[in-house]
Amino acid sequence: MNPGAKKILFAGLAFAVVYGLLNSLSNIFLLPSAPIISMRPQIALPMAVGILVHPLAGFITGFAGNVIGDAISGFGAFTFWNWHIANGLMGWIPGLAGYGGVRRIGTVREFGILQMSLVGASAAGVAAAVGLDVLFIHLLTFPSSFPSWILPAFLTDAVNGFILVPIILLLARRIRLTLETRTILMITGLLLVSILATAGSITWAVLDDLVSHGAMVENFYIAAVVSVLLLVAGFIAAIVFVRKVTDPLADLACAAQAMEQGNYDLPGLAGVSARRDELGRLARAFEQMAGKVREREKTLQRQVDELRIIIDREKQAQDVSEIVETEYFRALKEKARKFRQT
Amino acid sequence: MPEIIAIHSFRGGTGKSNTTANLACLLARQGRRVGVVDTDIQSPGIHVLFNLDPKDVPCSLNDFLWGKCDIGRAVYDVSRVLGPEEREKLFLIPSSIRTGDIARVLHYGYDIHLLKEGYQKAIAQFALDYLFIDTHPGLNEETLMSIAIADTLLILLRPDQQDYQGTAVTVEIARELEVPKMFLILNKVPAAFSGDALAAKVTAAYDCDVAGVLPHADDMMVLGSSGLFCLAHPDTALGRAMEGVLRRITA
Repeated sequence: MNPGAKKILFAGLAFAVVYGLLNSLSNIFLLPSAPIISMRPQIALPMAVGILVHPLAGFITGFAGNVIGDAISGFGAFTFWNWHIANGLMGWIPGLAGYGGVRRIGTVREFGILQMSLVGASAAGVAAAVGLDVLFIHLLTFPSSFPSWILPAFLTDAVNGFILVPIILLLARRIRLTLETRTILMITGLLLVSILATAGSITWAVLDDLVSHGAMVENFYIAAVVSVLLLVAGFIAAIVFVRKVTDPLADLACAAQAMEQGNYDLPGLAGVSARRDELGRLARAFEQMAGKVREREKTLQRQVDELRIIIDREKQAQDVSEIVETEYFRALKEKARKFRQT
Repeated sequence: MPEIIAIHSFRGGTGKSNTTANLACLLARQGRRVGVVDTDIQSPGIHVLFNLDPKDVPCSLNDFLWGKCDIGRAVYDVSRVLGPEEREKLFLIPSSIRTGDIARVLHYGYDIHLLKEGYQKAIAQFALDYLFIDTHPGLNEETLMSIAIADTLLILLRPDQQDYQGTAVTVEIARELEVPKMFLILNKVPAAFSGDALAAKVTAAYDCDVAGVLPHADDMMVLGSSGLFCLAHPDTALGRAMEGVLRRITA
């Protein structure tokens, strides 16, 4: 898929309008103790546009959408220009995952690249915004801006992207439901539910005291960072786990195909058959079956090799002469010869 | 130059009619105009494979041989087996299945000149590129005639001792009759057999080219006489082997 420049620009701007409107809406709901950062599920939009249309379209949606949102909210269209760039990057980077082979997701590896690109894009975007501020704008102060700007911004983008982009891709049928993707989706879902439930219940518990207890807020964000780290660690563990189950299946499928083509040596199965679980049992049964079939085929082949075509030449000569020496045959031969000459 | 291809086997049950019908169909599908003659007057059967109802056959090869009709009237367009819209590609000259007709021809016999003339007329009238002759097994006077007329003789055999002996006689007879081109085709070969090794052995034993080794196919058995294998299952080992045979014999 390679859309033209016109289509990239058009799609980028069209979604930017939607993104900008959603931004202006969500700016009403600010995150606890963060002056400007809001809860922003809409970050999934530029990310998805970057993946589904083109990385540049994702950049345009993120960048222009943030301009529109800030303008509507009354922050001034270019006051926080470094955050426009940050939003652009968040739309651009996940789209690049497509160049890493993630066009249509069918394996755990592809899904992992996608999810990591979302978290990475959020981190890179925030890092860019912070870097630009330090160099040119000088709005942030350290360390106080850390809990009030930087962390909330990263968390809301990373977590929302991590949850919502896969849902959008599922709806857009860009995730093929294979054994691998079904499993990883299920595990990711469980991880998210457990972490969000914890984070949500803590938030609920401390919400009323937030303003008077700045330290509590700080702790909350630290807990949130730990949650994201846990999420990433759990996700990586899940990938390893899923591949441990699905890789042997792929090996078994390869072995079955090799056998179908008459190849009964199955070195690719050695790893699987060494396993002590159900898959190992299946692989061993498979190897035994291959051995039996090879034996049978060898026996048959030997029978063919030993096959002799025995022709009793004496009887043959007798049968031939019985026919050839008849008057009918002589006449026929003569006629046939004449036919062929004409 | 139109070519007459006779298909023969020393014993019955080698799959002669089936092979003939399939080769004819494959050739017709390649755009050639192909005719098939059923000279198995004692036990005709190939019309079943071409979906030709004996009720729709007012004139047969038998009628032509007695001078009751012109050969042109005994030629039937059976192209419909290739597809509902197909016409003028595949033709059949059937034998009569009426027992009276059969007995009469067998009793009085017929003349090779008449047969040859009939074939030539049919070839000219229907602009045929190939004419296949499906024969009765064994070496009686009628089958000898078909061998004598043929430009190419295909001898079908199974990997079976009785077939080996009979085929040796047929090959010698065909050489006596100076058939220009002759090929052996091994049919109903068990899947475990190595086709190349078997072909090499047969070539050495008969000093005659093997046009192909056709594997035994369960699908073919299931299909029975109710349809044409190469149309129902083109992309199988048997289908590909048949294509190979065609390439050899039409080269």
